[in-house]
Amino acid sequence: MNQVMAPGAEAALPASEPHEGLLSWVASVDHKQIGIMYMLGALVFFGIGGIEALLMRIQLAVPNNHFLPPDAYNQLFTMHGTTMIFLVVMPMLTGFTIYLVPLMIGARDMAFPRLNALSFWIQIFGGIVLYFSFFDGGAPDNGWFSYAPLSENAFSSLPGQNYWLLGLAAIGIGSLSGAINVIVTVLDLRAPGMSLRRLPLFAWMAFVNSWLMVMALPVLNGAIVMLLIDRLLNGNFFTPASGGSALLWQHFFWAFGHPEVYIMILPAFGIISEVIPVFSGKPIFGYGFVAASTVAIAFLSLAVWGHHMFAVGLGHLSEVFFGAASMAIAVPTGVKIFNWSATMYGGRIRFTTSMMFAVGFLLMFTIGGLSGVSFAVVPLDWQLTDSYYLVAHLHYVLFGGSIFGIFAGIYYWFPKITGRMLSESWGKWHFWLTLIGFNMTFLIQHLLGMMGMPRRVWTYPALPDWAAFNLISTIGAFLLLLATLVFIWNLFISVQNGAPAGDNPWDAWTLEWATTSPPAVYNFDRVPPVHGRRPLWDLAHPEMADEAMERAARS
Amino acid sequence: MPEISTLNPLSPFAAQISHLFVAMLVVLGAIFLLVLGIVTYAIVKYRDRPGAPPPRQTFGSRNLEIAWTLGPIILLAIIFVFTVQTMRASDPPISADDPLQLRIIGHQWWWEADYLKSGVIAANEIHIPVGQRWLLDLESADVIHDFWVAELVRKIDMVPGHPNHVWLEADRPGTYFGVCAEFCGNEHAWMRFRVIAQPLADFQRWQQAQLRVPPSPTGGAAAAGLKLFEHNTCVNCHTIAGTPGNQQIGPDLSHLASRTTIAAGAADNTPGNLYRWLKDPNSIKPDTHMPNFQLSDADAKALTAYLETLK
Amino acid sequence: MMSRSKLATSLFILSEANFFAILIIAYVYYHAIGGGGPTARNSLDPWRTGAFSVSLFASSVTMWLADRSLRRGRRRGHQLWLIVTMLLGAIFLVGQGTEYAHLILSGVTWSANLFGTTFFTLTGFHGLHVFAGLCALAIVTLVAQTGELTERRRQAFEAVGLYWHFVDGVWIVIFTIVYLWAFI
Ligand code: HEA
Ligand code: HEA
Ligand code: HEC
Ligand code: CUA
Ligand SMILES: [Cu+2]
Repeated sequence: MNQVMAPGAEAALPASEPHEGLLSWVASVDHKQIGIMYMLGALVFFGIGGIEALLMRIQLAVPNNHFLPPDAYNQLFTMHGTTMIFLVVMPMLTGFTIYLVPLMIGARDMAFPRLNALSFWIQIFGGIVLYFSFFDGGAPDNGWFSYAPLSENAFSSLPGQNYWLLGLAAIGIGSLSGAINVIVTVLDLRAPGMSLRRLPLFAWMAFVNSWLMVMALPVLNGAIVMLLIDRLLNGNFFTPASGGSALLWQHFFWAFGHPEVYIMILPAFGIISEVIPVFSGKPIFGYGFVAASTVAIAFLSLAVWGHHMFAVGLGHLSEVFFGAASMAIAVPTGVKIFNWSATMYGGRIRFTTSMMFAVGFLLMFTIGGLSGVSFAVVPLDWQLTDSYYLVAHLHYVLFGGSIFGIFAGIYYWFPKITGRMLSESWGKWHFWLTLIGFNMTFLIQHLLGMMGMPRRVWTYPALPDWAAFNLISTIGAFLLLLATLVFIWNLFISVQNGAPAGDNPWDAWTLEWATTSPPAVYNFDRVPPVHGRRPLWDLAHPEMADEAMERAARS
Repeated sequence: MPEISTLNPLSPFAAQISHLFVAMLVVLGAIFLLVLGIVTYAIVKYRDRPGAPPPRQTFGSRNLEIAWTLGPIILLAIIFVFTVQTMRASDPPISADDPLQLRIIGHQWWWEADYLKSGVIAANEIHIPVGQRWLLDLESADVIHDFWVAELVRKIDMVPGHPNHVWLEADRPGTYFGVCAEFCGNEHAWMRFRVIAQPLADFQRWQQAQLRVPPSPTGGAAAAGLKLFEHNTCVNCHTIAGTPGNQQIGPDLSHLASRTTIAAGAADNTPGNLYRWLKDPNSIKPDTHMPNFQLSDADAKALTAYLETLK
Repeated sequence: MMSRSKLATSLFILSEANFFAILIIAYVYYHAIGGGGPTARNSLDPWRTGAFSVSLFASSVTMWLADRSLRRGRRRGHQLWLIVTMLLGAIFLVGQGTEYAHLILSGVTWSANLFGTTFFTLTGFHGLHVFAGLCALAIVTLVAQTGELTERRRQAFEAVGLYWHFVDGVWIVIFTIVYLWAFI
């Protein structure tokens, strides 16, 4: 067996400086430690963002409620959305990426380990700046897209909005440098034999995703700079009173914001593309199509931002264009859904908690995607935009999609990361409570939206059925609290007492399972040879090695 | 069965959207059931059982890939055709000589309605004649608002510096709930309004009444109230025909008593609520831009009495 | 295959290009709208700025000469050309500084009107990038004075050179749009 040295060995040097305890984390440039810190940070913020959501749900539980004053409510939904997007889903997926990509491609570390640490700390700094606003006159309260002119000095004179801008600028710069690091790592540090066409799908999607970040995040930063200039230097970019355009901000924000929503789903697609094959005992169905559809989604996502602006009066012509482009995204996404289903078909499916979350993802994300298509049908958007139907859509794709995917990934890779298994019985409780709580919270919001309930209202009149439906939604949110507590409890006990995992508890195939759990600082002693997409499968079944089988199947 | 308002259209425009919506719900539901069916079948049939054979290693199928790429493309192409058709039907093009009837101006957090033909200025309650197709001009005095009456008309933003137009029509007489659908600051929740569609004769009667200058009360509390109105800062923000007040910073009060709610739907228009409003607007609508004048009980009573005369 | 640092620099440049694209779009969009007050036409001097721009363009040439010297192993030449590059870049910045001073004294400021806001934002961010490039060049020049020429250093030199050419290229676009377009 001809094993080889892992590429990137020289880059990993700084990690070998000995540090003890906490300092070994703070000063770390090891991609695994940084990846774990990303994930832990995201988990803490998930708790914070979740508590913000619960406070909102309490306020909305009954009509004409006065539990919260309006400005507190507005700060909550702004911080909830901003936190969940920029401090939970993005860093969580980045954490997976930073932790896994070097392992999956058989490298010792990222291409630039120090930059990697810097990217992380910049983002933490951004999060702290954002939350510091609470101590300086109140959090930002203009929603996660801070439409001008509401976000301009004339209507938001408190500094909260500035904290939002500065915090997001920092997070943007941090994620951007992280993305560049990932691209270079994938291009430069693959083990011999690991051609781009043999990349594990998670690594592939993280790679494509990083390109999307390089394209989209500078747009956010450009827009932020302009709004900051308006606010701090009395500029005129988005102030209609002095000729500025309120719509230009929307164009800029969504030219970033729409790619952003795919930035939040592509790595989750990647997780699902690893989990479903392993627990079905089959290779992914249609690797090439799953990989290529990712690229198609990334490209299309740059050209659909106008679908967030169907109500502003863009004119039918551009609305038709953006509507068609948005519908087009359903095609490559559908390709993925069908390929995942086909992977399960004819397999031998092991219902681990990870797999259950993956199947949950498949169904919940499909619901969210389909409601997305109903927005792409322009006249429906004219009715449904900015109603609770939209709130339902975004949670089905972001929670039912991204968060379910993240949970699948955590149950799948936790043994690798810690060397211990998560409890499956607690895991099943977590899954079922999440599934039920999630649907209870958000399914009914589709109806509320159709019945005319706008989003971002701190209270509402007692119209027929509104009270009952909102109460159901609130109860569902508390089930989600219970589910999350079960999850945290599971993490807590399993880190200490979980069954030892061994190198490869799931009989998985990608390179991260070839090393110890948890992996040593230098990742691999020797990288196994890579002759196909499933190196460990090929090792275990030399007579059925993938490339040969695939060639045989084709001919 | 709840009365789901987007599915309960009462104008030709909303009806077009609603029909397409129902059709889409069926199509999308069918797609979901398809995926659900495949997944359920796989889960049940292929779940790991002791002694099950090792699964066959299959890598894909070109034909299937083509099928599930082309299928959605064709379906979406059909949906697209209906999309474009419905856009035109539910938001018909406007030509230069269509007369503007009504200008709606969004304010933080109430609605001004200027009747361009008759000169009536109303607030928070928009009367229209039933069965007539009116062209509206939508503007904003401050931030972005959004005009939405689910049963009658699509959402359309009111963007400062970017006027929009929309058709409004109601098939049947009635009162329809409207609401601001774009987040516009603290009291976005209580930026509601009503569209009251009336038979033409009733509408004209209403319009005549709105044009009348309200008679000044000559005695009692109401007359004292009028004095208070004229000598307090009220006139800096509000209009009452026949008084020095002619500003539109707050709603036009000339015919306040003819409205069903105050403060853009935050409370019913009763003497008690009006009194409470004048004493402490925040108690009815927190963070409203109407200031609290710390009026004495007597002054507030007098003002209420006066405002109640403004039929 | 590109060197690792050159690859990373190229990606960074791609992101910077996207950033500038947004600022340029804002400038062009408002240019089309116009409005009262100062405009590019009535407040800018394309000849004067053109002269300083030549200095920046020339610095790209000297940067290229520096790279070439390095490739040919002439380390003194490399160092000299780097210094010339820095000087030329600095001249450009001085030109921009005096231009700003002149404009601001005559009442053309950030907040004056849309032209002021978009003009200062766009050219100001470019100026900041030139300044950052100068800092990078200064470090590189200092490093070049000392010690061995390792592969790592060679890559760093290359990367800074690439970045400098980019800053220069962006100015060609900005100069054309802001200074030339207004006068045709
Ligand atoms: C993870 C994030 C994520 C993802 C993946 C998506 C996916 C999609 N989204 Fe969503 N979207 C958001 C997050 C996301 N969205 C958020 C956060 C907002 C709100 C922002 C805000 O205002 O706060 C939003 C808002 C939003 C709007 C604006 C609504 C409005 O403001 O009025 C629109 C409009 O077109 C839209 C469309 C779509 C479409 C067409 C997809 C498609 O990609 C979906 C594709 C998937 C499928 C269609 C399902 C699977 C496919 C098949 C089974 C094949 C067969 C299907 C067909 C033939 C139809 N989304
Ligand atoms: C990934 C993204 C994400 C996620 C996971 C969630 C999760 C949830 N969201 Fe969120 N939501 C958004 C993204 C997300 N949301 C966005 C982008 C918006 C739009 C914002 C805007 O309009 O600007 C929004 C808006 C939004 C609204 C609309 C507000 C409005 O328009 O007025 C509502 C209302 O019900 C809501 C509810 C919830 C609920 C109940 C959850 C629940 O699922 C939460 C469940 C989690 C918990 C209950 C956490 C449990 C806490 C602990 C266990 C504590 C442990 C402590 C530590 C670890 C420190 N969300
Ligand atoms: C600073 C400007 C301002 C002043 C001064 C002012 N108001 Fe108001 N007023 C408003 C605004 C703005 C509203 C709309 C509030 C809302 O709905 O959010 C309003 C609403 C009202 C309403 C409810 C109208 C409706 O149709 O809903 C009444 C009645 C009223 N004001 C009476 C008065 C009286 C009486 C005074 C003087 C004592 C006064 N206002 C002074 C700004 C002002
Ligand atoms: Cu006006 Cu919301
Ligand atoms: Cu989008």
